[in-house]
Amino acid sequence: DGVAVLPAPQNLSVQSTNMKHLLMWSPVIVPGEIIYYFVEYQGEYESLYMSHIWIPSSWCSPTECPECDITDDITATVPYKLRVRATLGSQTSAWSTLPHPFNRNSTTLTPPVMEVTKDGFHLVIKLEDLGPQFEFLVAYWRREPGAKEHVQVVRSRGIPVHLETMEPGAAYCVKVRTFVKVIGRHSPSSQAECVKVQGETLPL
Amino acid sequence: GQEFQFGPCRVEGVALQELWEAFRAMKDIVQAKDNITSVRLLRKEVLQNVSDTESCYLLRALLKFYLNTVFKNYLDKAADSRIRKSFSTLANNFFVIASKLQPSQEKEMFSISESARRRFLLFQRAFKQLDIQAAQTKAFGEVDILLTWMERFYQ
Repeated sequence: DGVAVLPAPQNLSVQSTNMKHLLMWSPVIVPGEIIYYFVEYQGEYESLYMSHIWIPSSWCSPTECPECDITDDITATVPYKLRVRATLGSQTSAWSTLPHPFNRNSTTLTPPVMEVTKDGFHLVIKLEDLGPQFEFLVAYWRREPGAKEHVQVVRSRGIPVHLETMEPGAAYCVKVRTFVKVIGRHSPSSQAECVKVQGETLPL
Repeated sequence: GQEFQFGPCRVEGVALQELWEAFRAMKDIVQAKDNITSVRLLRKEVLQNVSDTESCYLLRALLKFYLNTVFKNYLDKAADSRIRKSFSTLANNFFVIASKLQPSQEKEMFSISESARRRFLLFQRAFKQLDIQAAQTKAFGEVDILLTWMERFYQ
């Protein structure tokens, strides 16, 4: 190893939303020079059974940016230790380690984006593609007193899904939330969106 | 969502697809190192006709063995980072599954747990008859046999 001359990266943190995990840190500044960073990780198994083993991150060994998409590296629902060091030529900083191991079950789940449309008398929904780990729980109902709420699990992503054949003149509303199997958690529900046959999308 | 149901033992939070992808990424490299083609550790007598109830006991014993003996020193020899990444996925997910397998220890389950233990001992004896490194390499190469068997319990 090169002599640890460079300052180590500081302020490591992970920002995780909808199972996309971004490791970030404060950049190491040397005027006029390009600093490269190396990111490594260790799952719970490695830290318990072989703590000397660290695995280079898929996308950031090296990287120039003071951040790293570690989504492809976090492939189990266990705590992961993460560390970063800076290099400039043969100069190498000490490793900085994330203060608290990261577990993907702490990801922030947001209400999914949806597009509710009519295709003739057909109530159709299109959902954003959040990746294979997501299922969508779609609730829809006819907007009238005492109407029954139907729930449909949708696994297809980014393609229109037919929900219901609507009655002429009736209004129908839809709301959605996601479910992530590998962490067993739901997102909050989206706002309800309503459509009326031969009418416009009605705000609630 | 999808989950494993090994008799009374239910395991959520593991995507079988991710395990297959991890193993397939290193299968050729791992299995190419196994020179003893005449021996199979996870043979029929170990995995065939296992009842649902027995499966929880058996898998727990097998996974603990993999975690403690097969995987443990493997990474030292695996310099290739592709292997390390796939290995980490497998090891950490096996770790999750093993930690969630809590079979009953009640007396009336003794005959079932004993049957599982005998099956596991068949595997372990075969493992011990080989040189440790050859045995680790072979056992690692047989993870696809284990995943195929586990798939039966994935719903």
